[in-house]
Amino acid sequence: MNAESSLATDVTSPRPMLDMSGIVKRFGANEVLRGVSLQVARGETVVVIGPSGSGKTTLLRCVNLLEDYQQGTVAVDGEPVGYVMDRGGQRQRMAEREIAAAREKIGIVFQSYNLFPHMTVLQNIVAAPIRVRGIPRPKAEQRARDLLAMVGLSEKADAYPARLSGGQQQRVAIARALAMDPKIMLFDEVTSALDPELVGEVLAAMQQLARDGMTMIVVTHEMSFARDVADRVVFMDGGVIVEQGAPEEMFASPRTDRVRQFLKRYNDRYRI
Amino acid sequence: MKTFAPLLHSYWYLFRGAGMTVLMATTAVVPATLLGALLALAQIFGSRATRSAIVGYIFIIRGIPLLVLLTFVYYLLPLTGVDLPPFWGVVLVLACYYAAFMSEAFRAGILSLPQAQWDAAKSLGMSRRLMLRIVIFPQALRLAAPPFINLCINLIKATSLVSIVGLWELTMASREVVERTLAPFQIFLAAAAMYFCICYALALYGKYLERRVLVGH
Ligand SMILES: Nc1ncnc2c1ncn2[C@@H]1O[C@H](COP(=O)(O)OP(=O)(O)OP(=O)(O)O)[C@@H](O)[C@H]1O
Ligand SMILES: [Mg+2]
Repeated sequence: MNAESSLATDVTSPRPMLDMSGIVKRFGANEVLRGVSLQVARGETVVVIGPSGSGKTTLLRCVNLLEDYQQGTVAVDGEPVGYVMDRGGQRQRMAEREIAAAREKIGIVFQSYNLFPHMTVLQNIVAAPIRVRGIPRPKAEQRARDLLAMVGLSEKADAYPARLSGGQQQRVAIARALAMDPKIMLFDEVTSALDPELVGEVLAAMQQLARDGMTMIVVTHEMSFARDVADRVVFMDGGVIVEQGAPEEMFASPRTDRVRQFLKRYNDRYRI
Repeated sequence: MKTFAPLLHSYWYLFRGAGMTVLMATTAVVPATLLGALLALAQIFGSRATRSAIVGYIFIIRGIPLLVLLTFVYYLLPLTGVDLPPFWGVVLVLACYYAAFMSEAFRAGILSLPQAQWDAAKSLGMSRRLMLRIVIFPQALRLAAPPFINLCINLIKATSLVSIVGLWELTMASREVVERTLAPFQIFLAAAAMYFCICYALALYGKYLERRVLVGH
């Protein structure tokens, strides 16, 4: 899998890049995802919104099996991640090696950046490409520098994460995920922990990525990002997808009361 | 100064005792560290049975004074027919004893890393081995370094107990000299100073290590 093919937008392909079907996730007795199905097309940017506790983070974490789930399956580019159906229709968990291999194709960026504090920016980015994918160091470093240039941090390659601002750390985290040449990128409220003046630089990097044809799921409270960048907006509440559609439609004329209320409360609070 | 002068040659004897102390401590600290690391990993990743066995082991060790354990093993070993030179017997006891405490220090270091670090490593497709090696251990070790150095210092001081089973080191040497010279204050003052210097040097080295590995924090 090379960078070109994973970034290419191929709208003619009938197979979705991500296919989640019937995901049920419980924490003890608390059913957090109640049979969520979501398909994301190649090159599509899906923005997920919804109230706190609706299961957005959990949904993203189920995609790459950071969170185990009790029912349902996930496939990325047609390849199962985590569970396969056996001949009797029973779900079988894949071997840890296969799960690790599947995770390479799924980039995720967390709210709290989660850079490795004992590694420099460059080491953070090249560690997995070198040790997991076996890419020769010079090639991996070149790619890392290209990615750093893309997120506007060329001069920070040798800095330790603690020396960077939140916005800079988050852009490194994006570069680190991209360095694995993932087929899909997941973003979980990646600007929520940032000072307001740093939000823009991170959103700009994400917007660029969407324009370059990356397949993305973005959980965010940044409605302007949803409006400007999303191909589709998904509204979650209570562990189900309540409504989804094109951003202009959903923001202008939501079909359900829940979405209407959510957007109204949101507009009152932020006056957008 | 007069009171110290006649004892000069005795101090040389003490120095040799101190050398023995250092030798014994360093010989014991290596297996103690390895066993401690093994116990820590087995307690985190092992099966339920393994985990309870280790918890039990640590619980028992923590409740037994080292002096009692040393004496017990001293009398037990000959009965079991194991022919172990006293030096190695003592090293074995020290290693097993301190491994329990070291495993707790290592385990705390590993467990105090935020879940987010594991998540980030996993999400990059790392195998468990790899993430332990390049993400978890380097950070856990620097968290565990201060308690680890403390335990090493404790271990050095604990070697003063082994004279009870007839092993010769700094404390035993001091007692011998006192019996000859009848100058307990001068001799034990010197012995105390030697213990202090060894431990202080180690503490300084620990501080240096900490500062060196704390880059990025
Ligand atoms: N590790 C966990 N253990 C138990 N319950 C959890 C855990 N993680 C999440 N939950 C519960 O799952 C539900 C959904 O949480 P989730 O974090 O997915 O919501 P969210 O939509 O991301 O919310 P937010 O907008 O606040 O980030 C919540 O009720 C939460 O309490
Ligand atoms: Mg969340």
